[in-house]
Amino acid sequence: MAAIRIKNLSKSFGDAKVLKQTDLTVEEGEIFGLIGPSGSGKSTLLRILTGYLEPSDGSAEVFESAPAAFSPEARRRVGFMPQGFVLYEELTVLQNLNFVAGLYGLRFGERHRRVREVLGFVELWDDRRKAARDVSGGMQRRLQLAAAVVHEPDLLFVDEPTANLDPILRRKFWEEFEQLREGGRTIFVTTQYVGEAELCDRVGLLVDGTLVAVGTPAELRRQAFGGEIVHLSLGGEPGSLPERLRALEDLGRVEEVRRDAGGDDVVSLVRLLVEDADTALPNVMEVLSGADVRSLDVPKPSFDEVFFRLVKETGQVGLGSR
Amino acid sequence: MLTRVSAVAVKELWALVRQPQLLVLLLIGPVLIMTIFGLSLDVENILRPRALVVVEPGSEGAKLFQQYREEFTDRTQLVGTTDDSEEARQRLLRGEVDAVIVIPSAPLETVAGGERAVLRVVYDTINPVFGTRVPSRAYSLVLDLNQSLVQEAIAQELGGVRTLQERLNELNRRLETASSAAETLTSEEAQTTTAELDETLTTLESTLRLWQGVRPGEDEDVSATLQRIDSAQVTLDEVREAQEAGPEQIRERSGLADLRESLASLEEALASLPSNVPARVLANPFELKTENLASPPQVVGFYAPAVLAILIQHIAVSLASLAIVRERLSGAYEFFEVSPLGPGQLLAGKFFTYFGLVLGVNLSVALVLAGFLGIPIEGGFVEMTLAMALLTSASLGLGFLVSALARSELQAVQVSMLLLIASGFFAGFLFPLGQLQGPAVAISYLLPATNGISALQDVMIRGEGISGLDFAGLLLMASLTLGLARYLMGRKKA
Repeated sequence: MAAIRIKNLSKSFGDAKVLKQTDLTVEEGEIFGLIGPSGSGKSTLLRILTGYLEPSDGSAEVFESAPAAFSPEARRRVGFMPQGFVLYEELTVLQNLNFVAGLYGLRFGERHRRVREVLGFVELWDDRRKAARDVSGGMQRRLQLAAAVVHEPDLLFVDEPTANLDPILRRKFWEEFEQLREGGRTIFVTTQYVGEAELCDRVGLLVDGTLVAVGTPAELRRQAFGGEIVHLSLGGEPGSLPERLRALEDLGRVEEVRRDAGGDDVVSLVRLLVEDADTALPNVMEVLSGADVRSLDVPKPSFDEVFFRLVKETGQVGLGSR
Repeated sequence: MLTRVSAVAVKELWALVRQPQLLVLLLIGPVLIMTIFGLSLDVENILRPRALVVVEPGSEGAKLFQQYREEFTDRTQLVGTTDDSEEARQRLLRGEVDAVIVIPSAPLETVAGGERAVLRVVYDTINPVFGTRVPSRAYSLVLDLNQSLVQEAIAQELGGVRTLQERLNELNRRLETASSAAETLTSEEAQTTTAELDETLTTLESTLRLWQGVRPGEDEDVSATLQRIDSAQVTLDEVREAQEAGPEQIRERSGLADLRESLASLEEALASLPSNVPARVLANPFELKTENLASPPQVVGFYAPAVLAILIQHIAVSLASLAIVRERLSGAYEFFEVSPLGPGQLLAGKFFTYFGLVLGVNLSVALVLAGFLGIPIEGGFVEMTLAMALLTSASLGLGFLVSALARSELQAVQVSMLLLIASGFFAGFLFPLGQLQGPAVAISYLLPATNGISALQDVMIRGEGISGLDFAGLLLMASLTLGLARYLMGRKKA
C-alpha cells in the first residue's frame, strides 16, 4: 500500500515555480531518499507532504488524505524531524520530549513509557536532565529524532537529518532509520549528501523542481551509466584479444580497451558495460574460459558520479553548486 | 485536546521557571520602582517650588518682604534671600532653586507714582506641563500680596471713615449752636476740629479714589460720596475762613447753613459706606469652598493602579507578542503544524500560562505595595483580581495578535514598546483621559490599559465596582484580539 502518492504536483511562489508536475509513490515500509542540490525544491515538497504548504496544482496524498486537511488522528500517524533543532534550549531533554509527547496526546503513563523507550533508542536517557542547550549538536539532532518518533508514527518525514554532522554520527542516524524501518515504519528523508542515497531503499533525484529519476540505488546507477561496469584485466597472447572482445560485445558494450605493458608482460584492461552484472558475469566467465584473466571487478561508481551523470542527462549541470 | 493544551501550558511554565532572573525581575522590579518612586517623589516641591528672594537689604522692598514674609512661605519653600541677582541666577541654572523672586527696592514709591510695582519671578524649565507651577504659584503670591496690602489699606481707611463720622457728628453738634454762639465755633477747639475734618475728608477722598481705581465703575455710591466730599470741602474752606475772621463774620455768612446741609448729606453718604464690615471681608468678598466627592489617596496610592495597569499590559503584551513569532522563526511552529496540535490549542496553552504568571505577579506586587507603601485597595481583593484578570486577558490577546502579524522578533518588540509609550500618553497615565480629543480618544480605547487604569482606579481608589464600560471594553477587546490571532495563526501559507 502506498504511504505517499503524488500526482502532477506543482508549487509556485509568485512567478517562481519551485516544483514542476511531480509524480511519485512511496510504499509503506521503505526508506525513500529525496536527493537534490540545495534549492532544488526538496523542503518545499516535504512541507507539502506534512501539510504546512498547499500545492498550487496537482495533488498529494499521505495515507490517502490530503495533508493540508489532516485530521488530528491522521497527524498522529505522521512524524516530522525538521532540519534544525526547533525545540527549546532552556528546557531539559526530558522536558522537551514530554512536551512533544503531550502534543501528540500521549497520556501520563504511556508518555512516561514511550519517553523512556525513545530516549534509550537515541541513547540520551543518561542525559535526560541536561538542558538542551548544554548538549552537543549531534545530541540535539538525536533529541529531535526522538521527538519525531515518540508517538510511534507510521510515516516519518526527515528533513536533512545529517547536515553538518560528522560521518560517525551520520552513520548512527542511518542505523536508527534502518531500525525504524525494520519496525515497519516508512521513512521519507531528504538529503543533499548524495552518498546517503546508497542507504535508501529507493531514491528520487530532484533537480530544479523536477524529479529527474526515481528508483533503487542500483537502478539509478544503471540509469546513469546505461548499465553496470565490469573491469577485466586480460593477459596472454594479444592476438587472441579481438576475438574475445567480439564475444564480449554479445554480452554488453566494450567501452574501453587499454594496454598496460610492464616489461615483456602485456596486460589488456577492458571496460565492459553490461545491463546487469549479476546475470552477465557467468556468461562473461564462459566467454573468457581459457583466457588469462588476471582480474575481474564490478566497481560501483560513487553516487556522486551517478548523480552528476543523471543531472548531466537532464542538461542541468551546474545546479548542484547553487 | 486538554492533553495538548496542558502540554503547551506546562512547557511554557517550565520555560519561565527555568528563567529565574525573569521571574525575580517581574516580581521585584515593579515593587522596587514604586517604592523608590514613593520614597523619592517630592510632592512638597511640586506644590511649593523652592524660591530664592533677591532684595536690597534695608530697602523699602526688604521691609515689605519682612512684613509679608508669610505670603512668600505659604506659596514657596523659601530657600533664602540675597542681594546678588547674578548669584541667584546661577543657583537657578544649577537647579538648586526653582524660582528667583526679585523684589523691587521701592515698591510703594512706584505705586505712589501711579505705576504698578513689578515683582519679577525668574525660572528655568523646559517642561510645558509641570513648568507652569512656578508662574502659577508666583501669580498666587502676587494675588496674596495685593490682597494683604489692600486689606491693610481698607482696614486703615475704614478706621478713617469711622473717625470721620465721629468728627462730622462733633462738627454738626457745634454747627447746631453756631447761630446762637458764634464764639463757640470760632474757638480754638472748633478750629482744630475743622482742620481735622478737612484732613480726614482729604484722606477719605484719596481712599475712595483708590477704591474707584481698583474697582472702576462698580460703585455709584462712591462717586456720589466723592462729589459730596468735594462740596463739603468747599464749604469747609468757607467755614475755616469765617472762623479765622471771627464770630461776626460767622453770623453774617449764610454759608453756615450750606455747610450744615453738606455735612448732613456727607454724613448720610458715609453711613452707607461699609465701615463696620471687617477689612478681610472687603478685601476678599468671596470665599472659596470646594468639595471633592472622592477621597484622593497619597500620590503613590494614586499612581499605583495606573502603574499596575501599565505593568500588566506591558508584561502581557511583551510575553505574548514574542510567543508565536519566536516559534515561527525557530521552526517550532512548522513542527506544531505537522502535529495534531491546533492553533487554538497552542494559543490556549500559552494563554493560560501567561495569564497565571501575569496575574500572579501583579497581584503579588499589589499586595506588597499595599503592605509596604499603603496603596489603597478600597474595593477589595476580589474585585481588584477581576479587574486585573480582564486587563490581562485583553493585553494577552493584543500581544498574540501582534505576534501573529509580526515577521520578526524585533518587530514584535518594537510594537510592544510603541504600545507602552502610547499607553503613557493616551491611556490616562500621564494625562487625564478627559483632556484628550479627536483621534487620540480612539487610540486610547484601542489600548487595554485605558479601560484597565480606569477599572483599577475605580476599584482600588474609589472603592467602587468595575464600570460597565470598562468591563465590556476589556471583555470585547480580549475576545476580538484572541479570535483574530487564532484566525491568523490558522491560515495556511499560500
